[in-house]
Amino acid sequence: MADDALEAFATEVGARGPVAVEGARTRWSTGGELEPGARLLRAPEGIVEHRPEEMTVRVRAGTPVDELHCELAAFGQRTALPRRGGTVGGALAVGEDDVCALGRGRVRDALLQVRYVSAEGAVVTGGGPTVKNVTGYDLCRLFVGSLGTLGLIGEVILRTNPVPPVSRWLRADGTDPFAALDVLFRPSAVLFDGRATWVHLEGHAADVEAERRTLSAVPTAGGGWTECEDGPVLPPHRWSFRPSELRQLDGAVLGAYVASVGVGTVFASHSPPPRPQAPALRALAERVKHAFDPGGRLNPGRHVALLAP
Amino acid sequence: MASRATRRARPQPAAPDPIVAALVGVLGRDRVRDDAAERSLLAHDASVFSGGAAGPVCFPTSTEEVQAVVRTAVAHGRAVVPRGAGTGLAGGAIPLGRPVVVVTTKMNRILDVDLDDRVAWVEPGVVNLDLTTYLRPLGYHFAPDPSSQQACTIGGNVANNSGGPHCLAYGVTGQHVLALDVVLPDGELVRLGGLDAEPPAYDLRGAFIGGEGTLGIATLIAVRITKNPLRVRTLLLAFDTIEDAATTVGSVIAAGIVPAAMEVMDRRITAAVESFVHAGYPLDAGAVLLVEVDGPEEGTAVDAERVVEIGRANGATTVRVAATEEERALLWKGRKTAFGAVAKIAPSYYLQDTVVPRSALPGVLQSVYEIAERHDLMVVNVFHAGDGNLHPLLLFDSREHGAIERVHAAGREIVEVSLAAGGVLSGEHGIGVEKRDYMPLQFSDVDLDHQNRLRRAFDPACRANPGKVLPSGHSCADIQALERVPAGLWG
Amino acid sequence: MTTLGLDAGELSRCVQCGLCLSSCPTFRVTGDESQSPRGRIALMRAVERDGAPLSTPVRRAFETCVQCRACETACPSAVPFGHLIARTREVLADEGLSVSPPVRAGYAALGHPSLVRAAGRALAAGQRLRAVPRSVGLPRLPLRQGPLTPSGSDVHLFTGCVMDAFERDVHRDTMRVLAAAGFGAMPTGDRVPCCGALHAHAGLTRPARRLAQRAVSALGDGRPVLVDSAGCGAMMKEYGQLLGSDAARELAARVFDVSEWLAPRMAQLPEVRPLDLRVAVQDPCHLRHVQRVHQATRAVLAPFVRELVELDDDGLCCGAGGAYAFVERSEARAIRARKLASIARAVPDVVASANPGCAMHLASGGVRSVHPMTLVARALEEHATSRSARR
Ligand SMILES: Cc1cc2nc3c(=O)[nH]c(=O)nc-3n(C[C@H](O)[C@H](O)[C@H](O)COP(=O)(O)OP(=O)(O)OC[C@H]3O[C@@H](n4cnc5c(N)ncnc54)[C@H](O)[C@@H]3O)c2cc1C
Ligand code: SF4
Ligand code: SF4
Repeated sequence: MADDALEAFATEVGARGPVAVEGARTRWSTGGELEPGARLLRAPEGIVEHRPEEMTVRVRAGTPVDELHCELAAFGQRTALPRRGGTVGGALAVGEDDVCALGRGRVRDALLQVRYVSAEGAVVTGGGPTVKNVTGYDLCRLFVGSLGTLGLIGEVILRTNPVPPVSRWLRADGTDPFAALDVLFRPSAVLFDGRATWVHLEGHAADVEAERRTLSAVPTAGGGWTECEDGPVLPPHRWSFRPSELRQLDGAVLGAYVASVGVGTVFASHSPPPRPQAPALRALAERVKHAFDPGGRLNPGRHVALLAP
Repeated sequence: MASRATRRARPQPAAPDPIVAALVGVLGRDRVRDDAAERSLLAHDASVFSGGAAGPVCFPTSTEEVQAVVRTAVAHGRAVVPRGAGTGLAGGAIPLGRPVVVVTTKMNRILDVDLDDRVAWVEPGVVNLDLTTYLRPLGYHFAPDPSSQQACTIGGNVANNSGGPHCLAYGVTGQHVLALDVVLPDGELVRLGGLDAEPPAYDLRGAFIGGEGTLGIATLIAVRITKNPLRVRTLLLAFDTIEDAATTVGSVIAAGIVPAAMEVMDRRITAAVESFVHAGYPLDAGAVLLVEVDGPEEGTAVDAERVVEIGRANGATTVRVAATEEERALLWKGRKTAFGAVAKIAPSYYLQDTVVPRSALPGVLQSVYEIAERHDLMVVNVFHAGDGNLHPLLLFDSREHGAIERVHAAGREIVEVSLAAGGVLSGEHGIGVEKRDYMPLQFSDVDLDHQNRLRRAFDPACRANPGKVLPSGHSCADIQALERVPAGLWG
Repeated sequence: MTTLGLDAGELSRCVQCGLCLSSCPTFRVTGDESQSPRGRIALMRAVERDGAPLSTPVRRAFETCVQCRACETACPSAVPFGHLIARTREVLADEGLSVSPPVRAGYAALGHPSLVRAAGRALAAGQRLRAVPRSVGLPRLPLRQGPLTPSGSDVHLFTGCVMDAFERDVHRDTMRVLAAAGFGAMPTGDRVPCCGALHAHAGLTRPARRLAQRAVSALGDGRPVLVDSAGCGAMMKEYGQLLGSDAARELAARVFDVSEWLAPRMAQLPEVRPLDLRVAVQDPCHLRHVQRVHQATRAVLAPFVRELVELDDDGLCCGAGGAYAFVERSEARAIRARKLASIARAVPDVVASANPGCAMHLASGGVRSVHPMTLVARALEEHATSRSARR
């Protein structure tokens, strides 16, 4: 399907010279600093087509996530993209999940179709418009979290989800967040900052109420579980752990933090160290990079092994 | 076009296959098979396609053995085809050329279950349903539930990114795999993904899933395990026409309800399975819709009620709620054995698998029936309606002159109609050999070139399951001119 | 070139879906397509249609089939696998390709009650002298067994060959239970020496037919024929197919597994205190997949024991398979290992098995297993003694 905005974007990208896409710069340094000299471009903007009855939305990469969510909310829908500002393309390139990933789903599962501009300046389509699809290789997954180093995302189709009728945040001090996760059926989030625990419950009113009653059985340091407006403020940097490793977090290393229990993501004030990759994996990743961007012109300086610095 | 019916048993090769001795050196005599009749069994999977001849068949029991087998194949310049239970429906596991076949069925241990990380480590040959059975006492299950789950392997599920009725709410296999140990086509071992929230590196785990054995062999798989729902409600709605059933499906989704499963069966298939399972399916209905909602008590009650309302508004003639676990199990057994049960209607079937937008279902279904009629074929429909995943089965008798050609022509038209409605080539069975030549209908040359880049990054020498997924003209496809043959054709 | 003489229509029913794979015990332990129902059918086709030679691997594929027929219940397209494999085995036997002469002589002896009993006594003596290794898998055989005397004439109780020689006490228990429900039984004894099942499984169709014919002639009085060995019952229910005569079909229609007979008549049994046991039910394949009446065992046992537990292996075969456990020992053991693991997970006090072959096979694997009728009889008996003690 020819799309003028995409074609124009492809022309801008062209086939030569280092280029990078700039979104809202909310996670600009993720994966390392851009090499100087790269041309900075903006991805096209705008919601192309929302199909509420299909639970899909076709949106251009430069569209702010907030704007997308605002549009979807009018239809009682949302996506898995994180609510931390920025653009749709940026969120996908970084691959960051929403803090309520348990309830809203993972970003990598939400991308149904990606249209990107290749290192050669061609528009390429991966995936397809339907909610289920195993046609050919899964370029969508490959692109989520690829930091724009394999192709520059121009337009995507995302899965949308219904917004549950009721949503509640509860907070308690001195409680065991793992016990909370254990007793609850499907919480949207269980967050822990080393002292306080926040639980996000969503669903039908009676179910949320029932979960709340279940939760009240989890002991607290007094004061019990109290309702609050929202979850905690998230520190800027993302660390990634196994869910079980969250039992032994070290505040001295992380700084102030909020851990997403059951998921393994930790938002911290200190930045994470680069993580080692096994040599065989590194070699494979390099072959992938080389296959898509032989000249290394896309987002030079960014490396996927590095999470948020 | 040679059908299986006319294929003769191949005589034993005059000289023994030179790689056999080397493979025996790796695995021992017991676990390398070279008998012609035994090898001929592996020329097929559950699909209607048959390819070349299997070369030696290997049964490794560990990652190291898989590596050794692959390295031996590399040394002998041979291709390797991984195989699980052989229930694939797109010919993914059939050998083209004379590759070494690596069967994973002896790698069937559940190694570890960790409730803290909600993960199970399994070998690739573990049968899908065995894992769920194993997890049952712990209150967990493995969410992807292909209708073949009693037989198919988790390795096969990963390779095909398989779905199943309950993937409507829970997502397909790809959403439930955390980490993979993969023996690459050169014999190197890599771990893709990991248990942490965001493993470093590109999401090569995600890229590997659905690779249909062309990107390497998964030898260890960490899957996410899912808490069993608190409450399950299973509804059976009967309609006069399949279009009414399909419209209901679209309306349920549009109303913001995501049931765990929504499956449609048309009149003929309902009759066929009823005679096998005796679940009390209504035989006079034009179509039945099986809806399952799961979750907490209240939410499921509300959702079930709304589904019934929507169903009635769209012409549901009967509504039945499964009262017991046995009744529910029977209803599902009927759905899950539907493909096999069609043998009662005609000796052979060819199963299509496309996806269309849910709102397009009624129209596309009508076209499917018209296409079949035009080609003088019987078609039955039983499918994952909730995500628009059609499974028309074209029934025929291969002994009838020209039947195969008509089946092919009709199959292609169904693909074209689906794509024209904004759909895709395959929802869950994969491309294999079946649809590789249809790929250009959905993707441009540039798109295919990029898919090929991914493939070549994993398998620069084209050794892993060559001839699958990508059409000729793209590398690793031109192993040999392929014959595409609907079989089941022993009639 | 050998042909198997199989029915083309039956062969072409298989659509290769593979849904039968996981219910096949030999595929389960080998993971090998040639050891699966789908593979065996494909091999039959290869021999039949493509003239593939009966090479050793092909022949072995057919021989290693336990004939449990679990694949039949699993198969949505109703492939009559039992019929196909029986015919195939017949051809193998006819061609002298399977069944060695000594084994053949053993089968021949089964038709002669006095020979079987003599062998039973010899083995029993051997056991006393520790000359018969336990791993052979025989129960401790009685040196002497009192005769079974008729308790009435409502029903026949089929007593069979090996079972009568080795486990006559089970028949006695069955008769007690039947009597408690108000049915007098006539043991068939030497009138019907053997049902012929073992012969039929080995492909020795002619002797099987001869034995079946004897049963049909001896039991022509129209009374129900109750059977407490699942394998024999399954065979006798298929006499119609085996002999193709109206008389055989008539007999087959009034053959019942004893639990199948009792289940709808439970009200006729007295209410007693259940045995304080946790009982795992092992479904003999020929009860579950051929007779398809395995639920009756549960219905009959439930009131008489504290707790019934299900095994988690979905009725997978134990590997006994009539003579299979003796002829294909290593396969049988590998299959049994899965069953034993499943039993261990269920942690029962005792396992109930309605087939003597399964019970023996499990016993030699170290599992205490008893016939359901023995459990019911014991519950009835304990009740009776405690009542008389109170009086
Ligand atoms: C009756 C019936 C119902 C079905 N229902 C469904 C359904 O509801 N949903 C659905 O998605 N599918 C369904 N299928 C299709 C099929 O069962 C699935 O695709 C299944 O995942 C295949 O698993 P398998 O073990 O049989 O794999 P195989 O058929 O043996 O192999 C499939 C592919 O995976 C590759 N492969 C196998 N193991 C590995 C490994 N360890 N590493 C790398 N590659 C490997 C093979 O090379 C091949 O390309 C059905 C099939 C049948 C016959
Ligand atoms: S009868 Fe039993 S052993 Fe034989 S193929 Fe069928 S399931 Fe397997
Ligand atoms: S289940 Fe039946 S149709 Fe399917 S492979 Fe087995 S025997 Fe053939």
